Order: sequence, then C-alpha cells, then structure tokens
Amino acid sequence: MNSYKFDWAVIDKYLPELLKGLWITLEVSLVGMAIALIFGLLLAMGRLSPLRLTRSVANGITQVFRSIPLFVMLFWVYYGLSLKFHVLFTEFQAGALALGITGGAYMAEVFRGGLLAVDPGQREAAMAMGISKSTTFFHVIFPQALRVVVPPSVNVYVGLLKGATIVSVIGVSDMIYVAQYVSLQTFTPFELYSVAGIVFVALTVSISGFAWMLERRLGRGRSE
Amino acid sequence: MSSPVSAPDALAPDFLKLVGVSKTFGNHRVLDKIDLAVSEGEVLVIIGPSGSGKSTLLRCINFIAAPDEGEVIFQGHSWKAMSSKYNFLANRKYEQKLTVLRSEIGMVFQNFNVFPHMTAAQNVMLGLTKVRKQSKDNARKAAVEALSQVGLAEKVDQYPEKLSGGQKQRVAIARALALQPKVMLFDEATSSLDPELVNGILEEIRRLAKAGMTMVVVTHEMNFAFQVAHRIVFMDQGRIVEIGTPDQIRKTTEPRTRSFLSAILN
Ligand SMILES: Nc1ncnc2c1ncn2[C@@H]1O[C@H](COP(=O)(O)OP(=O)(O)OP(=O)(O)O)[C@@H](O)[C@H]1O
Ligand SMILES: [Mg+2]
Repeated sequence: MNSYKFDWAVIDKYLPELLKGLWITLEVSLVGMAIALIFGLLLAMGRLSPLRLTRSVANGITQVFRSIPLFVMLFWVYYGLSLKFHVLFTEFQAGALALGITGGAYMAEVFRGGLLAVDPGQREAAMAMGISKSTTFFHVIFPQALRVVVPPSVNVYVGLLKGATIVSVIGVSDMIYVAQYVSLQTFTPFELYSVAGIVFVALTVSISGFAWMLERRLGRGRSE
Repeated sequence: MSSPVSAPDALAPDFLKLVGVSKTFGNHRVLDKIDLAVSEGEVLVIIGPSGSGKSTLLRCINFIAAPDEGEVIFQGHSWKAMSSKYNFLANRKYEQKLTVLRSEIGMVFQNFNVFPHMTAAQNVMLGLTKVRKQSKDNARKAAVEALSQVGLAEKVDQYPEKLSGGQKQRVAIARALALQPKVMLFDEATSSLDPELVNGILEEIRRLAKAGMTMVVVTHEMNFAFQVAHRIVFMDQGRIVEIGTPDQIRKTTEPRTRSFLSAILN
C-alpha cells in the first residue's frame, strides 16, 4: 500500500477516453431506461387489469425479473439468447436490454403505485362523460399518476446508471471499461476508478436535482 | 315553492327504464331486481338509508358499474352487461357502444371528481373535443359558455385547487351539461359541501328542473326533494320500497319510509 504512487496526471492524459466511456454509460442507461419505462408501464397495466389471468402473468414476470441479478440477466441476454435462440445482440444492445428488463420490473412497481394513487372517482367521472378508456388513461389517469411516479422513477434510473457499470463485463466500452483498460497499462486503478466514482456522484446529484425541479413543476394543480 | 303541478306521464314510451336490474358485490346483493321507469322531463328523487344501494343504482344506469342481471332501456335501446369478460373483441366493441350511452347521460358526484390537472375550461373541453369531436376553438367557446351558465365566468382558467367546493361542483355540472345530455344523474351533489354552499348547488339543480331536464337525483336534502321531485323513490337494502309523489310520500303509511323520514327530518 505504501509503495503505491498516486499519479493523477494519468487522468489528464486519458480524460477524452474516459469521457467517451461516460457517454456510452449514459447512452446505455438511457436506452435501458426507455425500455424500462415502456416495459414497466405495460407490466403495471397488466397488474391492474380486471382479468385475473393477465394480473397473475404480469405479477409473476415482475417478481421474477426483479429478483434476477442484473449480472445474470446480462449474461442471459447476451450469451443465453444467442446460444439458445440465435438472437444476436451487439454488446450495447444486450446491455441496454438487460437494464431495460430489470429496470422495467422495478418501474412496474412504481407505475402501479402511481396509478393506484389516482382517485378512482377520476376514472368514473371520465367514463360517465363517455370518454373512451384510452383517452381516460392518457388524459386523466396517467398525468395524475406522473406526479407520484417521477421521484421513484429517478431512483430507478440512478440504479440503472450504477447498474450500467457492469455492462463492461460483456465488453461495452463504458467508463468502467475504459478505466479498467487504461489501468492495465498505467497501473493506476485507484485514480481512474476514483474519478469514475466522483463522476457518478456528480451525475446522481444533478439528476436528483433535476427530478426535484420536475416534481415541483408537476405539482401544479395538485389534487382537490 | 309549491310542488310541480303535473307530473309527466309515467307510462309514456320508455325513455329510461330499468328492468330487473341486480348487482352483487361478493355475496352482498346490493341491488335486488330493481324495476324503475323515468319519463322524459321527470325529476325523480331517490332517498334511503346509507348503504341501501342508491349510488349503485345510479352507476348501473350509465354502466359505470355494469348490472349483473337485468337491462337498462334508454330511448328504446336495450343495454345489458356482457356475459363473458374474456371475449376481448366483443367487449371492446360493447365498451365503445357504451360510451355513446354514457355521453347522453350526465353525472355529478358527491366528491366533484373534477380533473385537478386541468383548468375549469379544460375540464369542460375534454368531453367536447374527445366525445363530441369539436375543434379546440369551438370547445373552448362552449366551455366558457357552460361555465358562465353556472356563474363561473371569472374562473374559466383557474385550476380546481383555487376553487371552493361549490365552485368545483359547478365545474362538474358545467362539464356534464356541455355535452347536452338527455338525462342528468346527481349523486348527493351537495353532501360534501360546506352548509353555506349547499343552496347554490341546489339552485342549479332547480334551474335544470325548470328547464325540463330529465333527472335522477339522490339526496338527503328532504325539503329540496319534496319541492323539486315529481316522484320520490324510497330504497332500502337494495330494493325499492315505495314510489310516490311528494305528497304521497309525505303522508305514507309504509313503516320503513316513515321511520326513515322521521329520522332524517329531525
Ligand atoms: N365497489 C364495491 N365493492 C364492494 N361493495 C360495494 C361497492 N360499491 C358499493 N358497495 C356496497 O354496496 C352497498 C350499497 O352501496 P351504495 O354506495 O350504493 O349505497 P348508498 O345508498 O349510495 O349509500 P350512501 O347513502 O352511504 O351513499 C354498500 O353496502 C356498499 O358497501
Ligand atoms: Mg351513495
């Protein structure tokens, strides 16, 4: 430990690579989140369906996918699907999909809570006017659920962002991959991973700040 | 105010009629074979103890809660519940048809149920643009008009959080009336209002009665009921115990009606 010489100059030198890696981390986590939003909303709607069969299936998927470690999910998607079903994904696609599936299971819970938080009288009022189910959902229920959903969704995203650091194991050249790769040549893992960590803290804090602002804006016209 | 002179002919062609309507939650039979006919222009007031099924009855009329058995006949057209939940296509089609029935029947709730994320005008416009397929401009004009009718001309662009309970209920009334329904259902429209705001809403209902609107009104305001109703229905435990003109109900000898009235009038 004493013999370890800090060499922060390496950061300067490899900053462009690190930033490129960061960009890929952001990309893979954002695509993953987009998948998670759609998948999660579908699961949540399934879990709130009046049909028992739909409810059970959606509940089951949520439970199972939530308990599969991201690491395992990643391997299943990347290697499993291609070995067994010959679906070939690029590393990036596999990473985003694994994040999307796991994140979707978490988002299902978030959306379900948000949709349940909307007073059932709102749906009834819309129904009573002859407004169709889908219009009721998109114009009446969902906008109100959104207010409840934003803060926990940001938490899910932050989780995916951190989760995105493991996509390096299948060779996505994200920030961690760059840090690892560079430190193999420069023998300065501490500096590189520390910088990566600090960048993540900065990101997380700014994302949470953004969520806070969003939440306040959505708070307009708060319920009766 | 005296009772209306003549009640519309209750035997007039089926304007709105419930035949054998039943509804069960779990093993609790909340509505038990309800038969009821409402004629055009009639004001029918429903009274009865808490839990007797008044709200459920209203909700069965526009299929917000589909009856398990029986049918609702509206303007000569019969509506029944779908028999299978799992016949997706048929259900979808039927649900679309039901929106037509619902858009002809306005409903006002105890808890207002205004949309909190929309201004008063937007609340009214939603039905006009989505159900009546009006352009935004026309819908806006109609919304302002409808809100002015209930005394909210100044509040058109306010969000509900800035409105009093009475004003929210006016938005709800305007929202229903803007669709020009043939029937209005009121479910204890004044029950969650502060006492000083109750009369304003009752006045709106009276105004509609005078304009000849067909209405089914659930209320605990007995003075109002006696004044405005053509007929009063007394419900208990999911059944209609008695139907009569206000005078008949006032002088009834039916023991359950009498005990309910004496409890509520004191
Ligand atoms: N969705 C539901 N699920 C289960 N039970 C219900 C449901 N809706 C109503 N009930 C039950 O049905 C009965 C009748 O309810 P309803 O609301 O129609 O009564 P009400 O006459 O309107 O009473 P109140 O004067 O209190 O409004 C009650 O016992 C109620 O608990
Ligand atoms: Mg009720």
